[in-house]
Amino acid sequence: MQTLRSLPPLARRCLAALALLAALCWLGPLLSAYEPHSPDWNSLSVPPGVNGHWFGTDAIGRDVYARTLAGGRLSLTIGLLASVVALVIGLGYGATAGLAGGTAERLMVRVLDVFSALPFLLVVILLLTLFDRSMGLLLLAIGGYVWIDLARVMRAEGARLREAPFVLAAQAAGASFSQRLRWHVLPNLLPLAFVYLGMILPQAILVESFLGFLGLSVDEPSASWGTLLAEGVQELDTAPWTLLFPAGFLVVTLAVFQFLGDGLRDWMDVRGEGGRAERTQPAAA
Amino acid sequence: MIPHTHIELSELRVTAGARELLAGLSLELHGGECVGLVGESGSGKSLTSLALLGLLPAGLRGQARLRVDGQEIGFGSREHAALRGRVFGLVPQDPLAALHPLRRIGAQLVETLRIGRCMSRQVAQVEAEALLTRVQLPDPRQAMRKYPHTFSGGQRQRIAIALALATQPRILIADEPTSALDARIAREILDLLDALRREENLGLLLISHDLPLVGAYAQHVLVLQRGAVVERGDTRAVFTAPQHAYTRELLAADQLHALPGPATGAPVLLQAENLRMRYRGARIDALGGVSVRLHRGEGLALVGESGSGKSTLGRALLQLLRGASGRITLDGVALDSLDAVGLRKLRRRIGVVFQDPYASLDPRLSIADVIAEPLRIHGIGNAATRRAQAQELLETVGLDADALDRYPHQFSGGQRQRIAIARALATSPDLLVCDEAVSALDAHHRASILALLSRLKRERGLALLFVTHDLAAASTVAERIAVLEAGRIVETGSTVEVLGNPQHPHTRALVAARPAPMNAVGAGA
Repeated sequence: MQTLRSLPPLARRCLAALALLAALCWLGPLLSAYEPHSPDWNSLSVPPGVNGHWFGTDAIGRDVYARTLAGGRLSLTIGLLASVVALVIGLGYGATAGLAGGTAERLMVRVLDVFSALPFLLVVILLLTLFDRSMGLLLLAIGGYVWIDLARVMRAEGARLREAPFVLAAQAAGASFSQRLRWHVLPNLLPLAFVYLGMILPQAILVESFLGFLGLSVDEPSASWGTLLAEGVQELDTAPWTLLFPAGFLVVTLAVFQFLGDGLRDWMDVRGEGGRAERTQPAAA
Repeated sequence: MIPHTHIELSELRVTAGARELLAGLSLELHGGECVGLVGESGSGKSLTSLALLGLLPAGLRGQARLRVDGQEIGFGSREHAALRGRVFGLVPQDPLAALHPLRRIGAQLVETLRIGRCMSRQVAQVEAEALLTRVQLPDPRQAMRKYPHTFSGGQRQRIAIALALATQPRILIADEPTSALDARIAREILDLLDALRREENLGLLLISHDLPLVGAYAQHVLVLQRGAVVERGDTRAVFTAPQHAYTRELLAADQLHALPGPATGAPVLLQAENLRMRYRGARIDALGGVSVRLHRGEGLALVGESGSGKSTLGRALLQLLRGASGRITLDGVALDSLDAVGLRKLRRRIGVVFQDPYASLDPRLSIADVIAEPLRIHGIGNAATRRAQAQELLETVGLDADALDRYPHQFSGGQRQRIAIARALATSPDLLVCDEAVSALDAHHRASILALLSRLKRERGLALLFVTHDLAAASTVAERIAVLEAGRIVETGSTVEVLGNPQHPHTRALVAARPAPMNAVGAGA
């Protein structure tokens, strides 16, 4: 794909690292004899390397390697799904507000402001405590936390597109609001939205870990990086490796996403300049 | 006595890899003389000025012989670089980009004087004020303390000229110094440069795409086409007897034409009464009660400077503005009596072409989809018939059918404007609204698009509403002209009358802002 090739080297390396990480999470368990949930009664709290437990075991003899990878699968999956939820809501809401303009746009931006002003994590925690926890609710809660920034960006770009001559031309030709939205605004916002996906994904993973740490994410015996961290903290004195391995994975993942985000932002800036150069050419004529 | 400066640049060759961008150009500049360098974008005129300054972009290879006052200087050498400022001064195209946005004008001038002429701060202060006085900036002392954004475009260009003069150059290189300015302001800036040339014996290299403009100021003209000089000579000779076909084309593009008077008896197509519009937060009306009438098959030009409200009027007539009031009827149907759906249906009968060909087409749609979009909006035909119709429309506007499956970025500005016109014609409208539709185009493309519009108007009986600041363009397609100033129509009448015998002072100023040799209203087209 030519788009991938035009990415800066840093962003490309980050994408490769993420692919490697995902491969490790999904294929890594094949290399080890141990299951994430079944205890090995012969080796309780053994340090890394003993009895073929590469990352050691926890207090009830579960293999930390298998649990870290299983936690990674869950964290990445929830992060990705929640980001997609946020993307769909943010793109739809922002594009609609931007294209609408006028009073409707101002009202919709105010709603965003209200959402930003709420202590949202508190609301999420309340939600997850009061209602039956389910995967759907968890996705909605995390997605609901990260969609606001995305919606703001999409609103601004949508407003720019509303005044773009090709959208005005469609309006002048009689295109309805939904026709303009579907034919022009959404397709032109989509590439930008995908770039932003790279930036909201780590946020989603972090929020999930945070909720997991508080015990509000998935239940035992399932594990995400967040729940593993919570367990690890309790064994910090006796078996620090139960904390260090999942924590290390989480930190590396977030760092890689951070670099990817920076790379993507630079890439967009470069392309923005290219676009501007193209614009100024006819003016110089 | 100021020494006479004489620059000779000969056999200038610039290549990018195997491609030759400039093929052996020669140029002579004298103190007190203005040389005009004319050509379209991409013809190599800006490259020439960069080469002269020794500032060729990376990746380009240049070679030339350069002599300053008879002394040979190695092209691209250290001595060549040392000429910048001391011998050459540059007047930029976009003064806003050339001035530091966060530093006061005075500080920028003083810095240049202290570095370029080793002045003390106090002396530099005095000199900076003198420079601003020289470029006739009102109230120089106050201006020193202000930031670039507080000045108008013309004033900024004066400041940029003062900056260029700070290092006491002998030659000023002005690369499109007025392309961002209104005709009237542009003329003031050029008058200033001309005065500097005469009074201080400065040499001037005036680079522009606008041949008539250059003709009014330069003693000597070079016409560039694709990196080669196709015509050179005395301005008078080039204007009265152009030798090369390309020069003739450039000249013709700016000639005023006179169309036959308005067709009488044609029914009224569009009528607008008392249109008013005020933008949010603005203190004055963008439109202050404007009325227009347009007959079937007639061309009406709305002319005015930027900010006169002509584009606002165009958009108000298209019902693309929120908050505009007034009564508009199309073929006797009052637009305000229609609901949203009815208005959308009615839009089939009006086509529109915007100014910027680069932003007018959705970059993600193929040309077939772009042109067929109005048909799709109104649910006319199926995919196959729409494609066939798009192909027909492409031929109508003079493009090949193989363009159908290509994308907008693969076309030039002129071609894109043709595609935009094809789209506007898709629903066979009665009225075509052109909002500065040829302003962003080269002289060559401008002429061909205007010819296309005239032909469509004639063959299809299309009424044209032509919004423009360009009197020459207006005169080729419109039988009637309405002149706007500050949101009001100050003069209206047939093109011949308005341009030949302008009544209102503002119209007179607009006509006078055109370079003198071009104002004879010819009996063309």
